[in-house]
Parts: sequence; C-alpha cells; structure tokens
Amino acid sequence: MRRMATETAQTDGDVPAEITAHLTLEDRVGLLRAMLLMRGIEERAMMLYRQGKVPGSFYDGFGQEAVSAGPAWAMHGHDRLCVLHRDLAAHLIRGVEPARIFAQYMGREAGITRGRDGNVHFGERRVGCVGMVSMLPDMMLVATGLGMAFKLRGERRAALTWFGDGSTSRGDFHEAMNWAGVQRLPVIFVLENNQYAYSTPTAGQFAVDPVERAATYGFPGVKVDGNDVEAMFEATRVARERALAGDGATMIEAVTMRMHGHAAHDDMKYVPTEQIEEWRRKDPIDRQVRRLEPLGVDVAALRDEVRAEIEAAVAEALAGPMPDGATATERVFAEAPALLEDGASPWSGF
Amino acid sequence: MSSSTTDLTMPQMGVSVAEGTVVEWRKQVGDWVEADEVIASISTDKIDTDVEAPATGRLAEIMVAEGETVAVGAVLARIATDAPAEAEANGSSSGGGTSEADVALEAPGEAGELQGDTGRPGQAPLSRVVARGRAGSARFSPVVARMAAEHDLDLAQIEGTGRNGRVRKQDVLAHLERSAAPEPPMHIESPYRPDPPAPAQAPVSADGPAGASLSRMRRTIGRAMVESLHTAATCTTIAEADMTRVAAARKALGTSFLPLVARATVETLRAFPALNATLEGETYTRYDDRVHLGIAVSLGDTEPASPAGTGEQGLIVPVIRDAQELSVEGLATRIRDLAERARAGDLSPDEVRGGTFTITNPGGYGSILATPVINQPQVAILDTEAVVKRPVVITDALGEDAIAIRQMTYLCLSWDHRALDGALAARFLRALGERLEGWPLP
Amino acid sequence: MPAMTYLQAISDAMREEMRADERVFVMGEDIAVFGGAFKVTDGFLDEFGPARVMDTPLAESGIVGCAIGAACEGLRPVAEMQFADFVSCGFDQLVNVAGKMFYRQGLSVNITVRLPSGGGFSGGPFHSQNPEAWFMHSPGLKVVAPSTPEDAKGLLIRAIRDPNPVVFLEHKHLYRRVRGEVPAGRYETEFGARIARPGSDLVVIAHGAMVHTALEATEDSEASIEVLDLRSLVPLDEAAILDSVRRCSKVVVVDEANQTCAAGAQVAALIAQHGWEDLDGPVVRVGSPDVPIPFSPPLEQAVLPQPDDIREAVRELLDY
Repeated sequence: MRRMATETAQTDGDVPAEITAHLTLEDRVGLLRAMLLMRGIEERAMMLYRQGKVPGSFYDGFGQEAVSAGPAWAMHGHDRLCVLHRDLAAHLIRGVEPARIFAQYMGREAGITRGRDGNVHFGERRVGCVGMVSMLPDMMLVATGLGMAFKLRGERRAALTWFGDGSTSRGDFHEAMNWAGVQRLPVIFVLENNQYAYSTPTAGQFAVDPVERAATYGFPGVKVDGNDVEAMFEATRVARERALAGDGATMIEAVTMRMHGHAAHDDMKYVPTEQIEEWRRKDPIDRQVRRLEPLGVDVAALRDEVRAEIEAAVAEALAGPMPDGATATERVFAEAPALLEDGASPWSGF
Repeated sequence: MSSSTTDLTMPQMGVSVAEGTVVEWRKQVGDWVEADEVIASISTDKIDTDVEAPATGRLAEIMVAEGETVAVGAVLARIATDAPAEAEANGSSSGGGTSEADVALEAPGEAGELQGDTGRPGQAPLSRVVARGRAGSARFSPVVARMAAEHDLDLAQIEGTGRNGRVRKQDVLAHLERSAAPEPPMHIESPYRPDPPAPAQAPVSADGPAGASLSRMRRTIGRAMVESLHTAATCTTIAEADMTRVAAARKALGTSFLPLVARATVETLRAFPALNATLEGETYTRYDDRVHLGIAVSLGDTEPASPAGTGEQGLIVPVIRDAQELSVEGLATRIRDLAERARAGDLSPDEVRGGTFTITNPGGYGSILATPVINQPQVAILDTEAVVKRPVVITDALGEDAIAIRQMTYLCLSWDHRALDGALAARFLRALGERLEGWPLP
Repeated sequence: MPAMTYLQAISDAMREEMRADERVFVMGEDIAVFGGAFKVTDGFLDEFGPARVMDTPLAESGIVGCAIGAACEGLRPVAEMQFADFVSCGFDQLVNVAGKMFYRQGLSVNITVRLPSGGGFSGGPFHSQNPEAWFMHSPGLKVVAPSTPEDAKGLLIRAIRDPNPVVFLEHKHLYRRVRGEVPAGRYETEFGARIARPGSDLVVIAHGAMVHTALEATEDSEASIEVLDLRSLVPLDEAAILDSVRRCSKVVVVDEANQTCAAGAQVAALIAQHGWEDLDGPVVRVGSPDVPIPFSPPLEQAVLPQPDDIREAVRELLDY
C-alpha cells in the first residue's frame, strides 16, 4: 500500500504549497473555480429547496469538493466517469452548464434527465458521464465494464468511478474490484471515505481499512488527503498513467468528511461537534485559497465571477417550463443507439 | 351517484408553512355552496384566514374536523359540482352496490377450494364456473350477445348445444347460415315497396340544381363568423418570415411546424400583451403572462360530399390553457391529443372556452395567404400558411447581396382595430418573424 | 435450407453476428475454453479469440454490470447466465441500471442477456426456472422467448441489434429435441407473435417449450384448434392475440412458469379487458402451481404442464 506524502498533512489546516509539478497556475485556479462553483451551486440550490422549488430530497458534497474536482481534472475528455451524488464538480469540469443542473434539481424540462430522475441522479452522456443509480455501488461495475471496453479495443483510455465508504459493504464492490484485478483493467476506483454512511460511522462499515483491501484484489491502494484538491489530482494522474500503460487498476481512498447531513432532511446530530470543527479547519476551498493568494490570484474577483454565473444560471433555470405529464410514458426504449461522447479536457497537460 | 367533485385543500400560506388547522366550518355537509363563498376558516403559523370554495355545488364530504391540523395540500372537503341545485341532500352515497358483494360472500368455499388446490390450477371443472353465476347474470356470452344484436336475432329461438343447453357462438353461426337462404315470398305478397320519404328540400330554382339546408355544425360556425365580422373592426396584416431554421429544427424533433410556431407565438405575446387579450362589448381584458392558446382543428372532410353540399364536417378550436408553460415537445403532444379528441367528439366544454389567442394553420393544403376571422371575444388571430421554397436576397456580414433558396412563409394576423392599431400588429409580426428566423439550430 | 437444432440455431446467430460486426462479443462463465455449459459457444474461442469470447469470474452482477459499461461505449455484449435461475444474482444491475438508463439519462444500453431456462429433466429448483415475468414487469427491458430453431436465430440476431437491453429466454429442453429448417446467413425476426397452427374453434396461447406441448396436445383434436406462439413477451403482440381471440372466441393460455403473475396472467388480463366482446367462454389458464420445481421425476411431471393437462383444458372449454 502506497501512502502519499500528504498523509501527514491531514492533521492540520495547511497543505504543502506544491504537490506536483504538473499543474500550471491556470490549472490551479481552474481547480479552485470548479470547487467554488460546486459549493455555490449547492448552497443556492439548498435555498431553492427550502423555498419549495426543488421537489424530493437534496444532497450535497459540502466540504468534499476536492474529492471530485481533483480527479475529474486529471481525466481526459475521452475518458469516462461514473459520477456519484457528492461529486458535482466532476460534471462541471466535463462541461455541464450550471443552468441545466438547477433545472435538473427543479425537475424542469431543461434538466439533464428532463425530470425523469431527481437531484444528483444524472449524467450527461454527451460529455462522457454515466448517471448513477441509488443502489450503491452498482456504478463500480459499469466503470469496470467501460474499462473492459477500452481494453478490448486496445484504446489508451481509462474509466473512473466514485463510491462511498458505506457502499464497500455490498457485493458489487467486491465483484468490481475482483473483476478489475483479474482482468487488469484501466479503472480508477475513488473511495470517498467521508466517515459516515448516513448515520453509520466507518467503524460500523469495515473491520479493515479499505485501502488495505486493494492489494488482495491485485492492485495498489493509495490513501490521499481528500481535502487537498491538488493531491487528489496528482493521485489520479498517476493512477491514470498506470492504467494507460496497461498496468491495471488503482484504488484511491480519499479521506474527507461529510460536513452536511446525508441529505437536506438530516441534521446529523449523530456526528460529534469536535469532529466537525476539526474538519472545518481543513476545508478544501480555504486550503486552495491559501495556496493561491500568495501567488497573486485575485480570489475575491473569482468569487464574484462565480456568483454572477450562478445567479444567471438560476434565472435561466427558473424561466424554463416543467415537463408535460403526457410525455411521462415516452422514451422508455431507444429507437437508435445513443452512446457516451467526449467531455472537456481542461488540464494543461493534455 | 355523482362522479364530478372538486376538492378543497389546505392552502399554503407562505413558503415555509407546512400545515394548517381548521378552526371553523361555515358550511355543513349537504349545504349548497357557491364558488368563492367563504366555506371555512383556518389558522397557520403565519396567518389566520378565511377559505373560499373553489367551485359551486353541494358540500358532499368533510374530511378534516374543526380543531384538526393537517399538512398543506391535504384534502379538507369535497364539493359535488354536478349535484342538482334543488335536490335533497344525499347523505349516504353507498346506494345499491352491496348486493353483488353479498352474493359473492355466500359462496366462499368455491374460492377457497381453488386456492388451496394442489391439483392443476385453472383446471377447476367449468361446470363449477357456470353454476357460480349470480342471480340475474347474463345467460349469453359477450360474443353471442353481440352477434345477436348485430343480426337482430332472438336468442330464445336458437337451440344451444353447449353445456347445460348454453347457446354457443357456433350455434349462432349455424343459425345465421340456415336463415341466409331467402324465404320464398307468400303468393299474396306483392313485390311493391313504397319509396322512402324524400329529405326536406329547399326551394328549387327552375333550371338549377336542388339545394338543401346546412348541417347544424355549419350553421353554428356560420353564425359565429358573421357575428365576429359584424362586431370587430377586422383588419389583416401580413408579414413574411424565413422558416429555414425552423424547418431544420422541426425535422430534428419529428413534428409539424405548428408546435414551434405556437411556442414562438406564446413567447412573442409576452412582449406584446395587448394582443393576448379579449374585448367583450366595452370590457377589454389583458391576460399578460398567461396565454390560453386556441388551436383551430378541422374536423376533417372524410365524408363524401353530402346533400348539404360542403363535404366538410366543420371546425372547432380547443384551447391549451397556460400554453406558456409548455415546451415545444409539450405543445406538440398537447396539440396532438386535443386534435384527436376533437375529431372523436371527445372534448369537454372547458376545453373549448377561455382562449386568449388563436392559431389556425391550414397551410398544409398549399395556400399562401389568408384573411382569417377573429375568434370572438379575442382581439387577434394568427393564420400560418404554406411554407414554400423561394429565392430571396440574403445580405452577408460584409453587406454583399446574394440570392439564396430559403423556406418562406406568410404570417397572416387578423386583428381588431377597436382594441389596437396597425403599427402594433405589424411590430408583433416582425418580432414573431425574428424569433422564428433566429430559431436555434438542432 | 440447412436443418439444425434449436441450440445450433442460437450458436449460428451469434457466430454470424460476430463475424459481421466486430462490436459483438460474448461473455459468461465457462463459455470460452469449455465452450459453455451446454456447448452453445463451442468453437467460438478458436474462431474469435479470448478478447471476444470472455470467460468471466463467477459473478452474475459483475457480468451484467460490465456488459452495461461496455455497451455504453458502443460494444454489443451478449452475456450468458449459465442457467436462467442465476439471473437473480444480477437482478439489480439488469432491472435498475440497464432497464432504467435510457429513460433517465438518454443513454442506450445494447446488451443481450441469454437465459437457458425451463425444466423437464430433473434439474431441481435452481436449474429449472422460467423467470420471464420478473423482467416483463421491469420497465425498459425487452423479453423474447423463441420456440423454434428458425425463430431462435432470427430473434437473437434482432436482439443483438436492438439498442435496448433484451432478455433472451432459450429453453434448455428444446436445445437438442427440436430441429428445423433455418435460413443461412444473417436475418432478423421482428419481435411479435406467430401462428404455429391456424384454427377457428379455440386458440391455445403459449411460448417457449409450451408451444410444442400445445401442438402435441391438440394435433389429434376433432375441433379446429389454433396455437399462437407469442415469441415476444415485451413487446407483447396485442394485435395478434386479440385477432386470434376474435376468430376463435375460446382461449386457453399456457405457461410453464409458476402461474401467479406469469406471462399468461398478463395475456389473460389483456383479453378480459380488450377481447371481452369476442369471448364465448372464460379465459382458461394452464400453468405450474406455485411451488419450486421439484427434482424427482414423478413430482416434476405432476408440476410441469403435460400434454394431457392442455388436452383436458381444451376439451372442457370446447364443450362449454
């Protein structure tokens, strides 16, 4: 089991000024921007939820933004992602417009699923994202299948999937890890260990630190500071190179904390306040800001820009119509193939 | 038993309010209630208020008692909207529906035996099925009853060869075969049969063809048209629009032009609310953001030309309420549904009332210009004609002119000069045209 | 036209498609080196190589889930469950991921899941099931069940080309017992019913192995008995069913599956509602009782519908 140098940094608020030589200043600002956009969208959507504009339930990845932003930045547009419910930054980095995300939350016609599924259960196939199902971690197998397709066709592409600590208890975790190990597939498994599965702490979920299990499936497991976006990027970049070289899968355990409840209806009283306070000091956005401000980046201007983008997106989404009930029984079956297409590749290294 | 009811629900008095308490019922079950009449008073975290009835009718049922607290949206009471105004209050609605249930209960053993049977299911002897028939149940199967009705047969005359003397389908078929052979006429019968009475004839001109009176539908349409032309100061303004981009978009969606034109019209009306309005006598009402869009539906000319002479069956204008809330696909589906039900004669009265603007599009038949008649009491109507390929002048970004083949159409707007002026009509058409010409490519 | 068994026809379908379309590949337990538990893919490894003839780990959820992932990237996996019974281990992936993906995400999932189904040879409870009803009930899945070699090949080719997930029920008992003429080359059979024998006094509606049982049970009848082979359960050929009802007016619906909520229940309900005016008697069903399919021959024969059971139901309904 490999450990990243950043592991020792997990106990305090600061992170090393530089983790990797592979990120330009633009990249690092881009990472911050993605996290700011994710947090801003989720906060705004939470407000809309309380105003009765978002039906059903609402999930967010508050405090975990680096877990999705970092890895998504390291993946090429022709790679494929299976995105989970606290990984909004991945959708944004691939190129999904915020207005469509708000429309999706609100169940509008312009949402990515056109009202057929709610909140974060979406994936825009046209940017290479597969939408999640609620049975976790089913998508680990879909990602494994994507890796299998790349290998069958001899392509230098990888698949990445996120999944949570709780979901490692289900059979599909084992089947996917095992299959990827046996067939040496180009898959990156990102385990978001945010300490809680709803109200169940990880002590109730595993007897062995999951990163140690990877070796039993035949590939490396890496424990990474999940709140350091550049560390998450670097770990994924390395795993991707491994995959493309034909060396198979990697599991990245991203150590982070779920700072809000499981969903908007959960007040997380079962989490000790000291634990929340400890993790607040390690907020991934604050840390990235502290990295970039000394380099002369105008973070305040960036925040304003993001805020304006979000407000415009909300206005656009609110103006859109709800879907027509008469269309509810349409499009159960495809008439022609509709496959995954490529997303954006913002990293300077591509 | 009354089947038409309107629910009174707990209103949401404020965004964060989740529940309310019924303080007092001002009406009791059985009372007659007028729409908008106060029916109850409620109390919530934010505000105490009276609640008005949403419809006129008889208060049929109260679900929530005084003092009870329920969630926003919960049904508080039901109003029977088709109860006759003078009838006695009908307290119990569970009329005579119990006798069948009673009979079924009398034979519990049958069902029990079949369920617990370890023998083959579905193999219960059919004699048991027949014997289980309830008192008064039909003695003839559906197909036998249907064939008897179709051929006007007296089933009592037909011998049954089925179980227990049941008349079976083949018995009816056999009977029909036997009676197909014509009976020889009795010798006293004369072959003369009187002519059927002639239909009512309009006065015949000396050397012209015979006229006949118009059908009821034609007369109704005619009255409405004449009234409209006599009431409104009807003017028609026509503008051209380049529909090439719309044509590409509609092909990608797999619909006709109409839903896209409808969507563009709805959006343009929001910028020109003076056209989304009604004028009745002196009363001019604007509907602002809400567009209740009428779509003219031809009821088809599948009938051969009748003596009434027109060959058409007529015209009806179903209304899409709050069309502004529908996307193009939503409009396409709604238009299709209303047209189908219009042709099947299946529209409710509410669906042909209350329009604020109408679109008629006979353009499928190839005509290019029209002067439509306004659908009273609206103030305007849009007629879209055929989309035709024409050579037109295109000016590029550098100001250079060239000839291009584009798909063009004429947008014909008839409008009421009592309510607005030509400049506004023209500006509306130009705005609509620009919206159509700038349609996003699929 | 070559004559071949039902099993050979299934092999032929996959072989033809794999030769013509490099996106098609087969995956399942023991299908490559061993050629499959029933030898359906015998010889495939030599012809197509291990990448396209994949021996998978023993993991049904994995087989279906990975097939889904591959299909999202444009491949056309044909996944074999070694026995239809084991599909329950992959139920979640099939029903929740594959079935709902297009409706929710607009992403088509072209997978074919082959299920060797049915009993009649002392397979016992876990090797004899007919699970089609579970998947008829799941939106987004198509379900087909051929009874003849010609249909087995044509429907499987059609299924492989369909951009939607298709559950393909191949009845094990027919593998080597049924032979027929099968056109050479590639051809598709549209998903719909077929009249196995035309008639006018009564129609027996069946699918899979029960079509043969129905034909055998009614071939000596003095009455004119139609046998309708459904072939496709989703989509269900409502027009063909109601047409047979209109002409014959008496209906016996046969399932080999446990009768509660079996495919025949849906057919019977459809007829009761939409064929009511054409009925000259109650819609009679023949099916297995709701018990696990037993192992010992006298028990198994008492449970699975036999020709005499169909004969008896037909005779009674004719007399009604």
